[in-house]
Amino acid sequence: MDKEHEIVVTSRIRLARNLKNYKFPVKMTGEESNEIIDAVNNAIKDKDLNFKLTYMRDLTDVEKFVFIEKHFISPALSENKNNGAFLLSADDKISIMINEEDHIRIQTLGYGMCLNECWEQATKVDDMLEEHLDYAFDKELGYIASCPTNIGTGMRASVMLHLPALSMTNQMDRILFGISQLGIAVRGVYGEGTKSMGHLFQISNQGTLGATEETLIEKISQIVMQIVQKEQITREQFRKNNFDDIEDQIHRAYGILTNARSICSDEAMKLLSYVKLGKEMGIMSKVDNKNLYGLMVEVQPNNILSNANEQLNLKERDKIRAEIIRNKLLG
Amino acid sequence: MLCNECGKNEATVHLTHIINGKKSENHLCEECAKKNQQMFNSTFTIENVFSEMLNNAFNKSGYTPTKGCTTCGMTYDQFRKIGKFGCPDCIETFKTKLMPVVKSIQGYDVHVGKIPKRAGGNYKLKKDIEKLKDELKLMVEQEEYEKAAELRDKIRNLEKGI
Ligand SMILES: [Zn+2]
Ligand SMILES: [Zn+2]
Repeated sequence: MDKEHEIVVTSRIRLARNLKNYKFPVKMTGEESNEIIDAVNNAIKDKDLNFKLTYMRDLTDVEKFVFIEKHFISPALSENKNNGAFLLSADDKISIMINEEDHIRIQTLGYGMCLNECWEQATKVDDMLEEHLDYAFDKELGYIASCPTNIGTGMRASVMLHLPALSMTNQMDRILFGISQLGIAVRGVYGEGTKSMGHLFQISNQGTLGATEETLIEKISQIVMQIVQKEQITREQFRKNNFDDIEDQIHRAYGILTNARSICSDEAMKLLSYVKLGKEMGIMSKVDNKNLYGLMVEVQPNNILSNANEQLNLKERDKIRAEIIRNKLLG
Repeated sequence: MLCNECGKNEATVHLTHIINGKKSENHLCEECAKKNQQMFNSTFTIENVFSEMLNNAFNKSGYTPTKGCTTCGMTYDQFRKIGKFGCPDCIETFKTKLMPVVKSIQGYDVHVGKIPKRAGGNYKLKKDIEKLKDELKLMVEQEEYEKAAELRDKIRNLEKGI
């Protein structure tokens, strides 16, 4: 893994697609929604991607939230309790949400900076579906989506960035302000705005008209590269000007994470972010072979609940979280 | 500082939103922040801006059409409120009022991206031919006559399909 892949955590492409002759999920009957689920499932089932179909109605609330925390489905899909469903590929990299806000939302995920690969994969799945399904498409306005702000390409390209150095030096406000002028949205991945937990931010395009998918992806990629550079420069400044402080802070974070008997997700995310920074700056070799982003996902509240056999209160959850972190970091 | 939402408790959560380059701050207490979190997480700022602008566009012109979408029954009033279509045919009904709003947000109102093979029909073919014709012009300008001839054949073949 080179440096850049560590700052760019994941890439994601989402395509909104809808079927002609069917009302959108807001106006749809249960019968119609089942027809759509069957049609999409049939269109994709013989392909070698081994999709598995899951109905929202078969999941508990906790199970739904785990899929949300892993970014396989959206909160909006989980709210369509009766008529929502999704298909997930065997490698967890492609999900097709059915009856979310749109009839179909194809989503491809990958680690590091790989928007182009994600787009290629998504458009391939899109072609497979279109062979069997009649899409709503207008030659002037493009793909018709349920929300007018999505018509056109129906594409949202997003990249998740880990930006501890920029966050610790309070540079995020300025950066967010700058890129919001360029038609790019930024939000915290867990939490909101500049107070993002774990210093994780998601950057995505807002526009869906007037540019091709490739152009939109290129634009996002260039902005991401610039932010990555800024983060790298700030890390170098840490090394030159504040090395002792940073080294101390990172080792303290590791000390707490490996010793705490109870920890809330806010604190855990912050400290894991420091340790991840330490690993990438080469001052925390103990965690070289640990997947720290994976651990951040693992200690999300609902993920912990789903792996427990019983109801947990807040205190018990914090205890289990501390235990998971100790086991992972020391194991 | 007191919470903006309930005005009772001390604000401990400070949120910053940037909408169209304008920064706005929201100060909330723990409780109200939790209540609002679900909402924050599921809304994109662009959607908030959009529904507000849509409301204005449909309001100020004294525009009161009687019929909504004949396919799904979505009325102007409903559409203005929820800002979402009820079916793929809605767009035809609401286009004239809607597209200027979309354009003012995105800067564009025409799709230039992917064209689906089946739903796009002839349109994809026409676009492909246009692209090849541009290439052909370039090849002629560069005096690459062999490549130009190849392209000309390709274009003829495609044109047979229309
Ligand atoms: Zn309050
Ligand atoms: Zn309609």
